[in-house]
Amino acid sequence: MPVWHDTTKQFVKDGKLVLLGVTQEQHPERCRLFAQWKGFEWPILHDPINVLGSSAVPIVLAIDEHGIVRSARPNPKTFEADFVNKTFADDAKNAAADPTPAHPPRFDALKAAAENGASAPAWRAYGDALALWGEEARASDAVAAYQKAVALDPKDGAAWFRLGTALRRRYDAPARAADDFRAAVAAWGTALDLDPNQYIWRRRIQQYGPRLDKPYPFYDWVPEAEAAIRARGEKPVPLPVHPDGAEIAKPAKAFAGAPGAPANPDPNGKIARDPGAVACEVVTVPAAVKPGDSVRVHLTFRLAPKGTAHWNNEAEPLRVWIDPPDGGATSARLVEAEKPAAATSSEARAVGFEVQVPKDAKGTVRVPAYALYHLCDDDGGRCRLVRLDVTVEVRVK
Amino acid sequence: MAHRTLSALALVACAAGPAVAVPPAVGERHPNFTLPELATGKPKALADFRGKKVLLIQFASW
Repeated sequence: MPVWHDTTKQFVKDGKLVLLGVTQEQHPERCRLFAQWKGFEWPILHDPINVLGSSAVPIVLAIDEHGIVRSARPNPKTFEADFVNKTFADDAKNAAADPTPAHPPRFDALKAAAENGASAPAWRAYGDALALWGEEARASDAVAAYQKAVALDPKDGAAWFRLGTALRRRYDAPARAADDFRAAVAAWGTALDLDPNQYIWRRRIQQYGPRLDKPYPFYDWVPEAEAAIRARGEKPVPLPVHPDGAEIAKPAKAFAGAPGAPANPDPNGKIARDPGAVACEVVTVPAAVKPGDSVRVHLTFRLAPKGTAHWNNEAEPLRVWIDPPDGGATSARLVEAEKPAAATSSEARAVGFEVQVPKDAKGTVRVPAYALYHLCDDDGGRCRLVRLDVTVEVRVK
Repeated sequence: MAHRTLSALALVACAAGPAVAVPPAVGERHPNFTLPELATGKPKALADFRGKKVLLIQFASW
């Protein structure tokens, strides 16, 4: 794609060509950062739910002055002669031009059509409008519309994919519901089961998935981009959801053996159990695997909303000990969460690891784990180390 | 960061939504679509560029 940026720069400047980008990524700010880093000044449109119906990227189409596709694989070397300097006739093989200029949809009309018609396409169209054009506060309306669409037509893979995207959007927003990320991964998985050749859908799962199933790290370029932009004296586009864990992990062909086996920090379970100050959210990506395959496990620890404790950052970081399943493997036995520099804090803490289920696994593989963390009471300042037992369940299909 | 390409480039049709386009073949008119512009959030349609040559690039930052 950078080759086209360079090839077409002069044509765009001369007014001979419009370069128009479309990106299907979940988080628009990341693509804005990428565009800032690369100096893309042409318009880029955001299509997180893939209304264009593409099954893979990149796709490059040369579209003439009448809106007719003249090449699906233009050659940068002959692009000027083959396309830019040519005049084309309006000889399209299909429908006449739709000259409708850009306009956002009317939510009320789409909602009324969905409620009156009660059809899956109508509910999906309403969900699409909310997902693309609705404020973040309407994320729940988009989720509800897509849920109605898939309830009416469970074979609509696109609606399942879009439901997952809406759920993940809500997960990244203040309106997050407890189960949103897990439900998003499940919806994406249902979509991909319906159409395994849909690579836009597959990549959305792999973005959060295990290294053994990753084609590339996805967002490992972010620190380099931010540093380069700052070096130019500019302020990088801020990322509300900074990529970490699976989103920057490099692909691997096998779990790397850790140098020196770590010791189980509480082998006999003697450390006092957390009485409920912290809850752990468990999400496996993908939602289900074949025997012998691996999942990425996302553990997120959150202080109880009405709790009376905070993290004690002057002690050891939050640690998670994992027992591999019999006949399977884990990418690590002991993982640690990052902690801020401040002495105390109350943010969500995340750790990730991967589990390879046994080759003869059936049903559900249970992986026992536990977390150790230091808390201090808000009132009185009493601090203690506590343990939370967690069972990771990996569904085998 | 090296730009990565995908091997599969097959296109599938997509049922109707508010801004839908079925990926067209060479020689066919590209269906109109409207999507929010990344930088501004404002709507932009393919039809906004009628009368001009367009290079439409679908890509991902990864």
